[in-house]
Amino acid sequence: MVARKLTIEPVTRIEGHARVTIHLDDEGKVDQTFFHVDEFRGAEKFSEGRPYWEMPQITQRICGICPVSHHLAAAKACDGVAGVEPPRPAKLLRELMHMGQIIQSHGMHFFHLAAPDLVLGFDADPAKRNVIGIIEANPALALKAVNLRRYGQQIIERLGKKRVHPFFTVPGGVSAPLSSKDRDEIAAELGTMTAIVKEAISLAKGWIGDNQALVDNFASFPSNYMGLVDEEGGLQMYDGEIRVRDSEGELLAQFKAADYLDYVGEHVEPWSFLKFPFYRPMGWAEGASTYRVGPLGRLNVVDKINTPMANEEFELFKQINGGKPVEPSLYYHYARLIETLYAVERTAELLDDSDILSNDIRAYPPLKLTGHGVGVIEAPRGTLYHDYDTDENGLITRVNLIVATGNNNWAMHTSAGLVAKAFVDGNKLTEGMLNRVEAAIRCYDPCLSCSTHAFGQMPLEVTLVAADGAVLDRITR
Amino acid sequence: MRELDRTFCKQANSAVRLLAVYRYYEGLMPRTLVIGYGNLDRADDGVAYYVINSLRRRLGQEPLLEYNTGLEDLGAQTDAIFLTQLVPELIDTLIDYDQVIFVDAHVCEDVPDLHCTPVLPAYVPSAFTHHMPPGMLLALLQALHDREPAGYIVSIHGHDFDFRRGLSPAAEMLVAPATESILQLLRQPGEDRCH
Repeated sequence: MVARKLTIEPVTRIEGHARVTIHLDDEGKVDQTFFHVDEFRGAEKFSEGRPYWEMPQITQRICGICPVSHHLAAAKACDGVAGVEPPRPAKLLRELMHMGQIIQSHGMHFFHLAAPDLVLGFDADPAKRNVIGIIEANPALALKAVNLRRYGQQIIERLGKKRVHPFFTVPGGVSAPLSSKDRDEIAAELGTMTAIVKEAISLAKGWIGDNQALVDNFASFPSNYMGLVDEEGGLQMYDGEIRVRDSEGELLAQFKAADYLDYVGEHVEPWSFLKFPFYRPMGWAEGASTYRVGPLGRLNVVDKINTPMANEEFELFKQINGGKPVEPSLYYHYARLIETLYAVERTAELLDDSDILSNDIRAYPPLKLTGHGVGVIEAPRGTLYHDYDTDENGLITRVNLIVATGNNNWAMHTSAGLVAKAFVDGNKLTEGMLNRVEAAIRCYDPCLSCSTHAFGQMPLEVTLVAADGAVLDRITR
Repeated sequence: MRELDRTFCKQANSAVRLLAVYRYYEGLMPRTLVIGYGNLDRADDGVAYYVINSLRRRLGQEPLLEYNTGLEDLGAQTDAIFLTQLVPELIDTLIDYDQVIFVDAHVCEDVPDLHCTPVLPAYVPSAFTHHMPPGMLLALLQALHDREPAGYIVSIHGHDFDFRRGLSPAAEMLVAPATESILQLLRQPGEDRCH
């Protein structure tokens, strides 16, 4: 048998955003696997020459799924450029919007992308193994999922006055206070949303318990981890210092956002447009200096969660590996739901804060700009860096964005490789095998198709290519 | 078309009268949501924004500013909005409409540069992205709310998807014809309206 190649390729209008190529050896076994991102991200260059205060609006259009993350990271970078510290009520309101984003984004991922595998099985008919199948199997659960996402989205809308692409932050604060009516209406649904998230946690834990061997061995590998923490080492999504732990849980570094370039480097591989960030003090060393971000990364770096119900779950999470970092990638789903619970609880805390209805929502920048600002937040998918330089007139001269999906680039590549080796057999190829490879990547909830869109289908194409380049077979679904 | 209608149309030789004709027929139309989507910062990917604003002008509505979606002022017989991406919570909006017309760019070589086709509820698997095609949105609406509005997509062949504002000449040339296609869909309920 000749060596050949499998490609899992969602074809999009711009030559495909990402694909997985699995190279088989002469025996039809997996030799190597690559997770390629073919989309060139040109937003940095596009932003040059624009006034810095436009960045919260410009950068949120990078992504139709998580615009709030870019909006808030950009706002923090703009605070730095302007040399202004937002008043406490403005920070609370920004964080409240962020909690809305976490709730809607995590809710969507769990029910839309993760639950089909968990509820219906990796080998279920792909025509059924989807959110429509979930609706047929458990319509009540599906409606609750939509309700959870709507709730998060409405928090964003109430603050930003728009459902999509809010006009909320300004350098030094936010553009409008929260009304008592909006506060009360958000608060009124907290109990319902808490119950929905707890039901999802129960579902996820039940599935993990029923599939423990699979979970323990599915894309499980050591890595470093990165995430924001508060001054006591508690989970932080909006602000704080960036902490990096190694695969044993030892602290490698904790640093301020402005110093990130001392700690984060970016490696380039010729087969992917997406760079591979790594922990710079170690130099590029695949596996040794690479790290994971997002829900699993965050829960593996924090010491605690500052809300009671989420912390209770966190204590259980920490027991999975005896207090050391949890490595199997499927635990991303559990971690994501723990964070969703945190976001709902944190929303309640923010709404109860005596400053939340304050009109003291903006500090005005001094006339002279600093010309430089770095904004870092924990986006739903992981640590998001916005770094701007401006000239003396506030026009952008340089932008560096390191997005969450980029931070997890090596982890997704590694996960796909491990799962392909474990499950794919080129001699008896099944749809379920390839779905497992996709599912390994889905753990990280990558955001790849956000800056452009496609009319028509986005088929999954699997192409079998012989070593001499001849196409042996092609499967599209 | 009734004789009275024909006479009215013949007399409608000014922009104001054309608008009056539209208003007259508006009462006969299914309530329609026109959803343009794409990225204004990626050249032809944002072509739907230009189509939506062209349509809004023809309907006597204010064009959307670039940061507005139109979601905040729904309520007309025909609403026209522009989004970066289709998202699941749109189903809560779609409940109120009899017909949905999607507007987007396309890169298909085997369909006309200006393409109009019905959209049926259909789940399309997405390997590892959040991409939500129109048929998927309609499938969610049907599954969750048992509603099945008529669906169409009007799309324009895109040629340039670089990071810049504005359209390629070829895409720009099709904005007005695309607007006409949508108006045609609005005027002829119940027929095979994609021509």
